[in-house]
Amino acid sequence: MKISIRTFIILFVSALGLGILAFEFDWLTKLLVVATLLGGIGYLALKFDYQQQRVQELNHLRAGYEQLDQQAKLIVRTDLELHRTQEELDHKLASLFALHELGRQLRVNLQPEEIYGQLNAQLISGFGFSRALVGVCRAPEELRWQSLVGIEEPAAEQVRRHLLDRGALRELLSRPDPKTIRLGAAAPADQPLLELLSARTVVVAGVSPQAGPQGLLVLIREGAGAAEGRGDEELIAVLATQLAIAVENSALYEEAWGARRELEQKVHERTQELASANEQLIRLNKSKSDFVSAVSHELRTPLAAIKGYASLLRSGQFGELAKPQAERLAKIEKHTDLLTQLINNLLDIARIESGRVTMESRPIEAEELMATVVEMIKPQVDAKRIALKTRLDGVRQLVGDPTHLPRVFMNLLSNAVKYTPEGGSIAVHLERAGGQVIASVQDSGCGISPEELPKLFQEFYRSGNPINEQVRGTGLGLALAKRIVEAHHGRITVTSHVGKGTTFTFTLPASPVEQAPA
Amino acid sequence: MLTANPAVLGWSGSPSAFAAGQTAARAALKQLGKRRAQCAIVFGSSWFDQAQLLEGVRKVFTSAVLAGGSTAGEITPEGPTSHSCVVLALAENGMMASVGAGTNLEDDPRTAGYEAAQQAVHGLASKARSGMLLFGDGLLTGYAEALWGIQEVLGTSSLVTGGLMGDDLRFHQTYQYAQDRSLSRAIVGLLFGGTCKIGVGVEHGFEPISKPRQITRSRANILYELDGQPASSVYEEYFGQEAMEAMRQEGLTRRLIAYPLGIQMEAPGRFLLRAIRAFSEDGGLVCTGEMPEGGWVQLMIGSKGLALEAASSAARQAIQSLRTVHFVLVLDSVVRRLLLGREAAEEIARIRQIVGPSVPLAGCYTYGEQAPLGTPYPYGRSSVQTGACLVIAVGQP
Repeated sequence: MKISIRTFIILFVSALGLGILAFEFDWLTKLLVVATLLGGIGYLALKFDYQQQRVQELNHLRAGYEQLDQQAKLIVRTDLELHRTQEELDHKLASLFALHELGRQLRVNLQPEEIYGQLNAQLISGFGFSRALVGVCRAPEELRWQSLVGIEEPAAEQVRRHLLDRGALRELLSRPDPKTIRLGAAAPADQPLLELLSARTVVVAGVSPQAGPQGLLVLIREGAGAAEGRGDEELIAVLATQLAIAVENSALYEEAWGARRELEQKVHERTQELASANEQLIRLNKSKSDFVSAVSHELRTPLAAIKGYASLLRSGQFGELAKPQAERLAKIEKHTDLLTQLINNLLDIARIESGRVTMESRPIEAEELMATVVEMIKPQVDAKRIALKTRLDGVRQLVGDPTHLPRVFMNLLSNAVKYTPEGGSIAVHLERAGGQVIASVQDSGCGISPEELPKLFQEFYRSGNPINEQVRGTGLGLALAKRIVEAHHGRITVTSHVGKGTTFTFTLPASPVEQAPA
Repeated sequence: MLTANPAVLGWSGSPSAFAAGQTAARAALKQLGKRRAQCAIVFGSSWFDQAQLLEGVRKVFTSAVLAGGSTAGEITPEGPTSHSCVVLALAENGMMASVGAGTNLEDDPRTAGYEAAQQAVHGLASKARSGMLLFGDGLLTGYAEALWGIQEVLGTSSLVTGGLMGDDLRFHQTYQYAQDRSLSRAIVGLLFGGTCKIGVGVEHGFEPISKPRQITRSRANILYELDGQPASSVYEEYFGQEAMEAMRQEGLTRRLIAYPLGIQMEAPGRFLLRAIRAFSEDGGLVCTGEMPEGGWVQLMIGSKGLALEAASSAARQAIQSLRTVHFVLVLDSVVRRLLLGREAAEEIARIRQIVGPSVPLAGCYTYGEQAPLGTPYPYGRSSVQTGACLVIAVGQP
C-alpha cells in the first residue's frame, strides 16, 4: 500500500502523541493527545475503506471495459457476416440486373458478332467478374475474339493459341456446364490458362445452340475463394444459354429476313416487268392510233370522191338513171356516209388519245344544247314514236367543248333510239351536284346483260342483241363518247336491266358562275 | 457576361487502351471548341496497356500538360465505373499548370518529392501558386518524407493534396502519369498557379469500435505487434479464427480493407485511417501507410449512412471558400467502394448535388488520400490515410 504524505504526517503526530503520553503532562494535555490519536486512527480506517472501494470500482470498470471490447468483437463479427451477406446479395442483384440488361439488349435482333459485343465491361462487372474474353467459334478448330474486357490483344492472342494448340477448346465446347478453374485447385492442364491470364479464378463456358458450337466465354475473377464464386457456374450457364438463344434467334431472323428480301426482290422484278410491258403497250397503242389516224386520212379523200361521183350520178347530170341504178347509187351513198362516219369517229378517238385534240373549256347554254340535240335526233325519235323528255333541273350552263360535247349526247341518244322499241320513252336529265353537272340518258329499251356491260365502251364492241344484227353500227360511238367525257375530266358509267332499259350517266364540269352563291 | 467553364470532361469505356484514351480525350476536346487545352488530368483503368492509353490521349491533346494515374475504379458524373478512361481537360483562362515527377520513391521518398516539386515549379510560368495535386504509388509508403521534400521547394504553407493510385485491388503495380510517361513507384505533382484557388474537403465517417491498443512493434507500413501481442492475433480476436484463416488462405484481404485501423491523433476524436492490404510473410499485417511505434490504434467500423454523410460533408468543405467552382476531383478510397457496394453511385450523386450538377466532376478510387487534416501530429499538415473521401474543388475565390 502506498503511504501518502498526509498519512505519514498523521502517523508521525500519533507517535509524537504516544511519546507525550508516556511523560509527565497534565491530564488536559493527555486528553487532547488521546483525542488526536483516536481521530488519526479513525481517519486511517476511513481512508483504507475508501481506497478499497476505489480498487473495487476500478475492477468493475475494467471488467466493463473488457466486456465492451468483447461486445465490440461480437459486433465486428456480426458486421463482417452482414457485410458478406450484403456482398453476396449485391452480387446476386447485380448479376440479375446484368442478365436482365443483356436480355433487353438482345431483344433487338442482332448479328451473332454483335451479340457477343454486347458483353461490355459494365455487364461483366455486374456478373461479378473483373475481366473477360468473348469469342466466336463455329468449330472447335476456330476461335476469334469478339470482345475483350480488361485484356489487351497480345495476351488474348496467347490465350487463343493455348486453347487451340492444346485441343482444350474442343473439351470446353463439349462440356454441358461451365468449367471453373481456381488457383490452388486447378488441374495441371488448366494451370497455364491461369498463368496466361494472371488470374486466380477463371470460368469458361461454351455457347452452344442446337445447331452446334457458336461461341466461348472466358470470365476472370481476381479472388480465388470458393465462397466468393458461389453460384458462378449456374449464373454463367444461364448467361451462355441466353446467348445461345440469341444466336439461334439471330439465325432464324436472318432466314426470315432473307426470305422477305427475296420476295421483295421478286415483287420488284415483276413490277419492273409490268411497268416495262405497260410502256410497251402505251407505245403500241400510240402506234396504233398513229396508224389509224394515217390510214383514216388516206381513206377520207377517195371516200369523198366516191361520194361526190355517186351524188353526181344520182343527180342525173349524166343522163336519166334506171330505178335499179338509182337504188344502187343510193346504197353507195349510204355506205359511203357510214364509212365516213366510221373514219371520222376513228380519227377523233385517235386524236383524243394522242392528245392532239385539246378540249375547249367554254360556257355552253344547257337549254340551247338540248334543243340542238333534240332537233337532230327528232326525225328518228318521231319515226319510232318514242317519247323524248328533257329535264334541266335549273342547270343553265355547262362548261366544255361546244364541238365535241353535243356528240356525246348525240351518240348516247342515237343508241337509245336504236334499242328502244316503238312507243318507248327516252329521258335526258341534267342536275347539279357540287362543282359538277350529272347528265343521264335513260331509255326503256331492251337493256344490256351484266356480262356485256364492262365491254360496252371498248372500240368496235357491239352487244350481241338481235337489234344489232339488223341495224348497222360502227361500234365506236360509245368509245368516242367515253373519250370525250374523260377529256372533260368527267366519268361515264352505265346501268342496265335486261327488258327494262339502260341508263348512261356522265359528269361534266358545271359553270363556276352557277356555283357562286346567289 | 457569361464565360464558358474552363474545365471539360470526357470518358470512354472502349475495350482498347488506345481507343479509350483517344475517345475520352476527343469527347473533352469537342466541348473545348476552339479553346486550347493547357492541362489534362487522366484517370485510366489499370487493366489497360498504360503506354497505349497515354498515347491515345496525347494524340488528341498534343501539347497539354498531362498528369494522372491508374485507378481502382474510375468516377464520372454518372457514377462509379471500371475499365474506362476519364479525361478532364482545362482550357487556358488565367489558370496555369505544370507537372513534375519524382522516381525512386521507394528508396528515397524525400528526394522523389523534392524532384517532383522542383520540376513542377520550374515549369510554372506564374509566381502565384495555388497548390499541388499529388498522384502517388498506392503500393508504397513514405509520403510523409516525400512531403518534406515537396515542402523544401514549395514551403510549408502550400497546399499539397492528392491520391495514391490503385490497380483494381490487385496490389501488383500502379501507374502515375507525367506528360507522356506512365511511371511506377513514383510521385507525380501537378502544380496549379495563376488566379485559381483550390478547396479541399476530406472526411471518412468511420467510428472506433475496439479498445485502444498501442503499436509495440512495426516497420514502416508493416504492423507486427499491438500491446505486445502479434497484430494478426489481435485481428483474429475480432474477426474470429475461422474467418481469418479463410481470408489468409484465399487472399481475401479485401474484406479486411473494409475495417481499417484508426491511429489516434492529437485532436480528440480524430483518427488517421490505415487499411490492411495483405498478410506479410513474416506474420505482420501490411498496411496502406506508416504505422508509427508507440502510436495508439483502434479498429474502426463504418456504415453506409455515415459514409454517405461524410462524403456530403467533404463536398461542402471543398466548395465553401470558392465563389465559382470550375471543376471537382473526387479521390475516393477504394475501402468506401467496398463498404458502399451498390450504393457507391449514391455517394457520387450526393457530392454532385452539393457541388452543382453542371460542375464537371471526375475522379477515381484510390489506395490512399493525401490531404491536410488540420493537425501537425504525426506527419505535418498534410497526411495520407486510407478510407476517406477527398473532394478537391478548383475555382475562383
